[in-house]
Amino acid sequence: MWNRLIFSAAAVAAIFALSPASRGRNAAQQRPLPDISGVWLVENFQPRLFPKGGAPFTPWAEMKFKATDLQTNDPNLACLPMGVPRFMIAVPYPMEILPMPTRIIIIHEGPQVMRQIYMNRQHPKDLDPTYSGDAIGKWEGNTLVVDTIGFNDKTWLDGGGLPHSEKMHVVERIRRVDHDTLVDAITIDDPMAYTKPITAQQVYKLKPGWEIQEYVCEENNKYTYQGK
Amino acid sequence: MRTRLLISPVTAVLLLLSFTGATYAHHGFVSWFDMSHSVTVKGTVTNFDWTNPHAYIYFDVKDEKGAIVKWSAELGALAMLARAGWKRDSLKPGNEITAIGNPAKDGKPIMHLDKIVFANGQELSSAL
Repeated sequence: MWNRLIFSAAAVAAIFALSPASRGRNAAQQRPLPDISGVWLVENFQPRLFPKGGAPFTPWAEMKFKATDLQTNDPNLACLPMGVPRFMIAVPYPMEILPMPTRIIIIHEGPQVMRQIYMNRQHPKDLDPTYSGDAIGKWEGNTLVVDTIGFNDKTWLDGGGLPHSEKMHVVERIRRVDHDTLVDAITIDDPMAYTKPITAQQVYKLKPGWEIQEYVCEENNKYTYQGK
Repeated sequence: MRTRLLISPVTAVLLLLSFTGATYAHHGFVSWFDMSHSVTVKGTVTNFDWTNPHAYIYFDVKDEKGAIVKWSAELGALAMLARAGWKRDSLKPGNEITAIGNPAKDGKPIMHLDKIVFANGQELSSAL
């Protein structure tokens, strides 16, 4: 009697384990997430998104761009955060990516800023505008797709003075294309500032043995910020 | 301006504009320095500021009449300099150096440093 019961239970368990639904769940649970951890540095530092000009400005953005002066009103002159996407594409200092169970943390060395990509929630409603915005992420195969909104308009897109509005929406597709190389394909959509989405790509190289160091920009900053 | 006139004809070297391998500094150096030209200046170190966001070398340069011109060279952030081999005591007052870098656009005796060469030929570059 007991033998028969045990045999039946084992048979049911075996059938359940072999069912397609169960196999899918186990495969999802067991498949390791792509590893993008480590210290990364941009391969080629180019501070401008449009080195030869030609950004698709709206009249509003063109007016703001004409008022920019790299020597007086770059927010970075005051050691203010670069913000997204500038610190992903136009900063010559390393970043460390730290995957956690429900978030992916990116620590930038300079200016020292932490970016949090939430993997377990949607964007909250009625976001307060911030320098880094609110970032949520999901894995699509080996690509980390990061969706960021909720920006303030106090940063530039790059080191060349490209403005943006609080309506900016940034989508990044981050993928480790080989052991030493990470690629961030970025789409910047801001209809108030640009007549069409801007796409950019940054390539990073792994820096084994590097550690993120302290960087206090305010310590001996000799530059003067006259922006607002 | 007088200083620059005395030094530039001897030392100015045209370089191609290139960001690959450029020295690392973040404060919009392309807007302050003439990245298409290089200047080479020989002098004596008076101070070395090992500080963020930029390190600075201060050095005295004699012009053709023997007058002292106070030069300075801007470097990058300390962490990147350390990775390139610099230390807080890499330079001491009295060191004789040749400084090579991009001159200030406004003609002041300030440069964005590419590298220094010590009297014994040893070099320190601010690029990785």
